[in-house]
Amino acid sequence: MTFSTMLSTMAAGMLRTCGIFALTLLGSLPLGMVIALLRKSRFTVVRGIIRVYISIMRGTPLMLQLLVWYFGPFYLFGWSIRGWRFPAMIIGFVLNYAAYFAEIYRGGIESMPVGQYEAAEVLGYTKTQTFMRIILPQVIKRIMPSVTNEVITLVKDTSLAFTLAYQEVFSLAKQISASQTSFMPFVIAGVFYFIANYVVAFAMERIEKALDYYR
Amino acid sequence: MIIEMKNIRKQFGDLEVLQDISFGVDSGEVVSIIGPSGSGKSTLLRCATFLETIDGGEILYMGQHAAHTDASGKAVYVHHKELQKFRSYCGLVFQQFNLFPHYSVLKNLIDAPVEVQHRSKEEAEETAMELLRKMGIADKADAYPYQLSGGQQQRVAIARALAMKPEILFFDEPTSALDPELTGEVLKVIRQLAEEKMTMVVVTHEMPFAKAVSNRVIFMAGGVIVEQGTPEAVFDNPKEERTKQFLRVFER
Repeated sequence: MTFSTMLSTMAAGMLRTCGIFALTLLGSLPLGMVIALLRKSRFTVVRGIIRVYISIMRGTPLMLQLLVWYFGPFYLFGWSIRGWRFPAMIIGFVLNYAAYFAEIYRGGIESMPVGQYEAAEVLGYTKTQTFMRIILPQVIKRIMPSVTNEVITLVKDTSLAFTLAYQEVFSLAKQISASQTSFMPFVIAGVFYFIANYVVAFAMERIEKALDYYR
Repeated sequence: MIIEMKNIRKQFGDLEVLQDISFGVDSGEVVSIIGPSGSGKSTLLRCATFLETIDGGEILYMGQHAAHTDASGKAVYVHHKELQKFRSYCGLVFQQFNLFPHYSVLKNLIDAPVEVQHRSKEEAEETAMELLRKMGIADKADAYPYQLSGGQQQRVAIARALAMKPEILFFDEPTSALDPELTGEVLKVIRQLAEEKMTMVVVTHEMPFAKAVSNRVIFMAGGVIVEQGTPEAVFDNPKEERTKQFLRVFER
């Protein structure tokens, strides 16, 4: 296998890695907000369920969760899992990251001074207006550093998709390395991950800068 | 009467913060509330502006009930949709300003008028700029709150409350968070509003200001109104021993 074949095969894998990354963020960033709000629900049952969900998501390995999502339907219900690999993987990633994002959001929301709520209340804003116009924009600014951390971790965590034998860049690196008895695929994978995270860090820094117009 | 509060009771746990307080404010009147900390002054303001719910008593704005006490002795508020109308009658200026830091000064002033009162943006901006000129900070319209001094921030907060065109404006220790050299500019603005016959209730520790600006002074202690009257009566000839004792602290 020539170096360029290796590179182009792995670039295709990197594209799939980016796919997992993008879909996970697309699902988990909004879902995390829903979970953070449900966690503060006035219904004890809802709060309890969310609490259990978060503690399971944080308390067990993501690798294990992916395996459960993929093989669970077969072992639990005897269903065929053909074509289920990709959806199972995305569900696993989204639900896991949503739990972490929910906790970040919750921390951000709880850090808001009560005076902001009171000022909005006296001015007659509804609860929804208060959250969307006053609280959320400030929360986003406050949580950016923690979100950046989590997003960078996600870039690397996409490699866990290899447990489901999904052909993303890390799986390919392992396969090609074994078949070609070459160390080069790992180097290429490392460079790919590093570049991806460099781009992520750059983008997040730009967003943080854009939010720097106030304190 | 703009606001009438009758037999207001409020408890935090076992602590009776307001014990059967009644007071009203006429249109154009400026009322100062003085008293030691923990006397219930701020709680009274927070009840009047619906940030706290009363346990018993009545709240009326413009002669209409916002809250009354039912047969079992519990306070009942009007439906929260109707309560919005009552909220629009009153404004509150906080000790800590509580400006929205992510909004420019102008946006702080026009956001609620546009989003809550559904006034046109042009009209809201016009009103806002007029208020900022009156506050002497028209040049700060595009600044963000963090770029302003405490005194300027508090003046923006006053303008923000006035932009809603309230019938009555409440001040909760408006100068207590300010450096001494900045209190003057805020008090001047309040005095100016008093001259324009804005109805106001000011909780304050600035005794000379309270004496100069108000039509009536209320002295509160331990959750009750101990004494009230004209500034001269309360400051120069207090009848109650508790009032005398409190005022002596300020003479030094």
